[in-house]
Amino acid sequence: MKNNIAALSLLLLSTATVAVAQEKASPLEISGSVDTYYKYDFNKSGNIKTYFANEQNSVSIGMIDLALKKTTGKASFVGELSFGPRGQYQSIPDAAGGSDPVANGFNIQNLYVNYAFTDKFTMTAGYMGTFVGYEVISPAANFNYSTSYLFGAGPFQNAGIKGTYSFSDKVSLMVGLFNEWNQYSAARGVSSLGGQLMVSPVEGWTAYINGLHGLDVYGSYSTLVDLTTAYQVTEKVKIGLNAANLSAGDDNFGYSGVALYPQYAFTPAAALGLRAEYFNYKGISGGPSASVTSFTLSGNIKSGGLTFIPEVRFDNDKDFSQGFLKSDLTTLTKSAAQFSLAAVYSF
Amino acid sequence: MKYLSFLFLLVVFSKFSFAQEVAALPKDETGKYTYYEVVNSTVKEDSLKARVLNFLTKNKKEIKLKSGDGKVILATGKLIIQKSLTVISHPSGEINYQFNFEIGNGKYRFWLTNFEFIPYQKDRYGNFVPSTTVATPLEKEPKKSITEQWEDYKLQASKYAADFAKRLKDQLVNKVILPPPPSEKKVISKTW
Repeated sequence: MKNNIAALSLLLLSTATVAVAQEKASPLEISGSVDTYYKYDFNKSGNIKTYFANEQNSVSIGMIDLALKKTTGKASFVGELSFGPRGQYQSIPDAAGGSDPVANGFNIQNLYVNYAFTDKFTMTAGYMGTFVGYEVISPAANFNYSTSYLFGAGPFQNAGIKGTYSFSDKVSLMVGLFNEWNQYSAARGVSSLGGQLMVSPVEGWTAYINGLHGLDVYGSYSTLVDLTTAYQVTEKVKIGLNAANLSAGDDNFGYSGVALYPQYAFTPAAALGLRAEYFNYKGISGGPSASVTSFTLSGNIKSGGLTFIPEVRFDNDKDFSQGFLKSDLTTLTKSAAQFSLAAVYSF
Repeated sequence: MKYLSFLFLLVVFSKFSFAQEVAALPKDETGKYTYYEVVNSTVKEDSLKARVLNFLTKNKKEIKLKSGDGKVILATGKLIIQKSLTVISHPSGEINYQFNFEIGNGKYRFWLTNFEFIPYQKDRYGNFVPSTTVATPLEKEPKKSITEQWEDYKLQASKYAADFAKRLKDQLVNKVILPPPPSEKKVISKTW
């Protein structure tokens, strides 16, 4: 009995000691998200095929995302894995099995190490979420649940090594060498040079000017220029903008597009946002171009870690590049509309 | 039995110690949560000011000087809020505040006020960063669903302010900080 009490006392004391010690040490951060959704297409077809949520009249799952981060002094690492359709075969590449949803296992979202040489200069190496574009794979970091054409066309992740220098809180510059897009390891060598200039001219306004030249996911050596910016105009109004242009030197492929993201917050827990997008597939070898316009109206209703995202979306495909179908499922149509309700939980 | 009594006292003492750490911040006449302290000091005004500026420089990751003219020093700082205090935690937001310091005759005063919370969100690289530039004052009544969380933010701000004040006062009295222990003495075995 005495021994038990002594052991219990010792345990209690050691727990308290550990608790005090933990305040000084950098803890291991564990975070993530889970998402699920219902989608209904008004033409009863899975018409709008942006990267995620392609089904019709279905309650479907997105992904579970798990991230670890640890900082020790000036060094840190991030490891982030996702499981589920959004994080596996819909997010290239897969750990195994390529794009085969049966064979693949999981997708690495981030796996990198970082070292801060000084307060102003850091270097990062590994596989990282792309620095290009407004939207990201994880639904917890997007306002709209469905994704834009610009998001689907650009890189998802870049493996490589990069250095970032902060001139001040308002200006920083990143330059890096990368593999071809979305590859854990280079098939044709470290082939891309990328850079990002961040400027924050006034409080609440941040702009990223991105450039990436090298081997893209379409097999071409291309140059991608991208502007991603967001401005908190007032306490309730925020405006975001994404514009990008990709040109392949050998005229194999290219695209350009612009998306505007005005948002209005009724309260800190309830907001409404529109995404208005114009996207153009450049004609190959002098051929005709094809463009798509899209309007997406989304709500964000938050309660604790949970966010409900009701959303309606209308797309117009004037050049029939997307293969939208009428409700007879055979006749092509220019327009498509859908409703979705997503639940995203972040922890 | 005496072991049980010891254990009971230990638990009570632990709880009492934690309770002491989390006294809520008082509000000033304008209704803002404020940590305010007046301290008598024999240190010369020039030295006081130099030591405050030195304190701000040493803690530049946490607090930044805004103006330091005359006998008044203004700075803005932030504390990172952790989602939990267990080993598995991550930043869930930051509380920004304003630091004011004034030198008087034979005394100085300082106060921390304008506490405002900004929630964090995970970015594309897996790091937690501010999700908005719109800050919510800690005085604002929270929604029912986050009342407990909001109370925790206030307690963390209170605890931080008390700790900040202690560190600042120690710096201003130039409290001697113990030097690091001497390096291990090497034994040279080849000499007599």
